[in-house]
Amino acid sequence: MRSYKSYILLITVMFIAAGSFAQQGEFRLTASYAAAIPVGSFKDNVVSKTSFRGVDVNLLYGVTSKLSVGLTTGYQDFYEKYPRQVYKLSDGSDISAVVSNSVQQIPFLATARYDFTTSGLIRPYVLGGVGGQLVLNRQFLGEYTNDNTNRFAFAARPEAGIYIPFGKDSHTGINLGAYYNYIPYNKGSIDNMNSIGIKLGIGFPMRD
Amino acid sequence: MKKSWPGIALALLIFTGCAKDPLNNLSSDEARLYITNHNDSASFSSYTSFRVADSVAVIHNNQLQEKARTDFDAQLIEAIAARMQQNGYTRVQAGTTPDIGITISRVYNDYTGVISYPDYWGGYGGYWDPFYWGYPGYGYYFPGIIGTYTVTDGAISIDMFDIKNAKANDKLDFLWNGLIRGSGTFTSANINKNVQALFDQSTYLKRN
Repeated sequence: MRSYKSYILLITVMFIAAGSFAQQGEFRLTASYAAAIPVGSFKDNVVSKTSFRGVDVNLLYGVTSKLSVGLTTGYQDFYEKYPRQVYKLSDGSDISAVVSNSVQQIPFLATARYDFTTSGLIRPYVLGGVGGQLVLNRQFLGEYTNDNTNRFAFAARPEAGIYIPFGKDSHTGINLGAYYNYIPYNKGSIDNMNSIGIKLGIGFPMRD
Repeated sequence: MKKSWPGIALALLIFTGCAKDPLNNLSSDEARLYITNHNDSASFSSYTSFRVADSVAVIHNNQLQEKARTDFDAQLIEAIAARMQQNGYTRVQAGTTPDIGITISRVYNDYTGVISYPDYWGGYGGYWDPFYWGYPGYGYYFPGIIGTYTVTDGAISIDMFDIKNAKANDKLDFLWNGLIRGSGTFTSANINKNVQALFDQSTYLKRN
């Protein structure tokens, strides 16, 4: 629990820092469609299928022209239905079932983004986020709920991408990025809920 | 134009933010569970004959309502008898004491939620007076185990007992239980499919 407190503190400090610079910069929102590919034991033991149901949102305040800090949130829905199979239970019984696994991840990450350049047609950036992910993990045996675990797990995310403004003087543009969702998750045979994410969206300033 | 970006971003979130509903994505056949359990110490090849009780116990919220023989019940009894014969056992009629006694129960429960269900795979046969098998005054014996399943509807429980060694054991020992649960359990068209599934996953249940 001690570690969660430090994340909350970090996020708070970032917002206070952002607030004190509010006149010097501006808030920018990047809203993206996101797809995610499960890896590791998440892929092996829960869902192996790529999720095409997701969004990713960064709200970042420009501390300098290149460095911005803020919050990342979003949503990703993973789902897989496995064909009917007979499973041996620990009590000795055999159960034949169609198993469905359904996982939703909602990140809350303190985020820092560094843009390598503020000019040019293609502007590369790197982004780092640390915080937690609300992980909703459900398993169904046929139509019956076998597991329903909601957990707030530690999460971190390195990201790299490019920003392409719509015009030379435009403050709005396309944002393309790839990231690694690092989510340790210790439950039974599940060690993590890691995935590789790809996002495509629009970045724009929050002003009239 | 500039002001429309937040709207587009919001539309994106709503459009992709929908989780796939695991239950809506199941066919009726996929929704069903087949659970079997057996007495580890029983040698199924040591029995030669069986008899299926000619009616079905209807149990509602753990209360015996009635012994019934609807068209559905009769079909189910015949389907089980046919499969037992296919597996090498000889069917005997009322008046002859079989080696294996088979009772069928239709079980209905009103409650929902994950519950402790200590005798979900057995015990329902205990609603039959041991006198039915020619052993008045004998008790049934079911080993107790714990299972956690969400009970939202009915189930069919098929129990097999050791009549052959009842005298030696001083009880009607549990041999095998099959449980059919979920959507379509009580559909006549599914009877053969359901019985087949239970026997197919119980490869030990045969004369030779």
